[in-house]
Amino acid sequence: MSAAIEIHNATKSYGGRTVLKGVDLTLAAGTVTVILGPSGSGKSTLLRAINHLEKLDEGYVALGGELIGVTVRGDRLKERRERDILRQRSRIGFVFQNFNLFPHLTVLENVVEAPVAQGVRAADARSRALALLTRVGLADKASAYPRQLSGGQQQRVAIARALALDPDVLLFDEPTSALDPELVGEVLQVIRTLAGSGKTLVVVTHEIGFAREVADHVVFLDEGVLLEQGPPAEVLAAPRHPRTRDFLDKVLA
Amino acid sequence: MSGLSTRVRAASDGGRASATPPGERGAPDDATAPGTPLPPGIDLKRLAERPVVPLRHPVRWVITAVVLVLLLNVVQTLFTNPAWEWSKVGTWLFAPAILKGLQLTLVATAISAVVSFLGGIVVALGRISGNPVLSTLSWLYIWLFRSVPLILVLIFLFNLGNLYPTIGIGVPFGPQLEVPTFTLLSSLALGVIGLSLSEIAYSAEVVRSGILAVDQGQHEAAKALGIPSRRQFTRIVLPQALRSIVPAYVNQIIGLLKASSLLFYVSLLDLFGVVQNLGSTYPTDIIPLLVVATIWYLVLTSAISVVQYYIERFYARGSVRVLPATPWQRVRGGLGGLVRSARSSQSSQSSQSARSSHSSPGGVR
Repeated sequence: MSAAIEIHNATKSYGGRTVLKGVDLTLAAGTVTVILGPSGSGKSTLLRAINHLEKLDEGYVALGGELIGVTVRGDRLKERRERDILRQRSRIGFVFQNFNLFPHLTVLENVVEAPVAQGVRAADARSRALALLTRVGLADKASAYPRQLSGGQQQRVAIARALALDPDVLLFDEPTSALDPELVGEVLQVIRTLAGSGKTLVVVTHEIGFAREVADHVVFLDEGVLLEQGPPAEVLAAPRHPRTRDFLDKVLA
Repeated sequence: MSGLSTRVRAASDGGRASATPPGERGAPDDATAPGTPLPPGIDLKRLAERPVVPLRHPVRWVITAVVLVLLLNVVQTLFTNPAWEWSKVGTWLFAPAILKGLQLTLVATAISAVVSFLGGIVVALGRISGNPVLSTLSWLYIWLFRSVPLILVLIFLFNLGNLYPTIGIGVPFGPQLEVPTFTLLSSLALGVIGLSLSEIAYSAEVVRSGILAVDQGQHEAAKALGIPSRRQFTRIVLPQALRSIVPAYVNQIIGLLKASSLLFYVSLLDLFGVVQNLGSTYPTDIIPLLVVATIWYLVLTSAISVVQYYIERFYARGSVRVLPATPWQRVRGGLGGLVRSARSSQSSQSSQSARSSHSSPGGVR
């Protein structure tokens, strides 16, 4: 399953400060997009708007043609009921910078939680969860608690958890930023295996090497404005905008 | 062996030092002040191979001894002062009247504890809800019942019949269903309501603080997974909140247990009430009766503390890497450890050289 993401006029401000200034972005189904930008550029906000963790002031996000978090009422976009939004989110997996695993539940219970909450039979959810944990190389940790794992292992569990509902889209919010350098590789490796699996991936990261190697599409945001986008060979190797060049110089230095 | 010889040398140094001028006194061993360079001739590499001697705490021992002596003095008076009348304590402790009062204390406390925990969750949720009417009402409730003394609440409730002779529910200005206040509510029920009304206000704040202590990322993760709102609370937020709610709430329950003695003032005979009554009937037995009440309150509070320990342990799962052993496990482990170390020291003495037995002192593993 896969679905294209269409973002139109994404606008958001917090207390007078505009963090997104009318971003338009279309991401083809099944592709990998990396969002780059200096801190405070609005890239996390944009990512969180895709699964409506962040409500847009103006604009919309559509997934495979379905509006996320809002619906058309007359000549306005109107926010959906929480229950409907929660249902829509099961099509969109989200991986957090700080993992946000549920610390009081075991690894297996973490992965099983969302499917069971949606009414999947416990036995089915369990066997699927074990398959996912095997896929991220952590089947032997199923009964451990998150705090007993390393950061890299926790993030791999978080990816398995995000995959548990077989979403069309996976969003990664700086998935390796909270990790020790030697643990970054194992997490990126898992994300790499998901590329080309048919799911649409959107990754906010500072790992330029990863972007160059895995991304189909690179987007550069600065101060809430989409400055530049294109294939990594263009945006990363020959950036047109001076701010992009500036940023890449700093990150790669 | 060599450690002993160092100490011997120090002692002999000290002995010699008494004859030398104060300035040079014990110089080789007293070079411990920070900033003092090591005196020459010490083979640090050799010292590094021996276990570091832990710091001793002589003052601790002195203070312990003083405190123990004072404590023993107090304990002694329990036996030597005949006014305690321990034989009467023994007879009163299980007297039917006392047990009946104890039962009432237990029932009132238990029901109020459960009701006020559930009520506390409701009021706390109201307080943090986005609905301005609900959050204002919850705030007002907490404000009111934290401000009014419990005894005032209780006496108010017991005069409810004067205030509202009948209690009814119905459509405003429409049909009503009415019953007389006192057929509806027994005095125990009124007592429990009074305790709960006041207790809910406190437990709501305890629950609210627990909910606020849960990391925002947990709410976000639950939302991002599309978990339905109610399940987000019962399965993700509340279990984590309980970790900080439990100790504070048990504190509340212990307060409640003791506050239930106020029921005496609305003519309910709880443990304290019974003791108070018996005290006026048998004025010579007042001290033993007070001791009996103290013993029962101690027993109840201890029982609550034991339960608290295990509940806290349950909710600590996942938040520490390894749960500490329970006291019972520690006792068993301690005995097992003693047996093991006794065995291992025997075998090491018989089969191994003195040097290797020196390197595993005590065998504390």
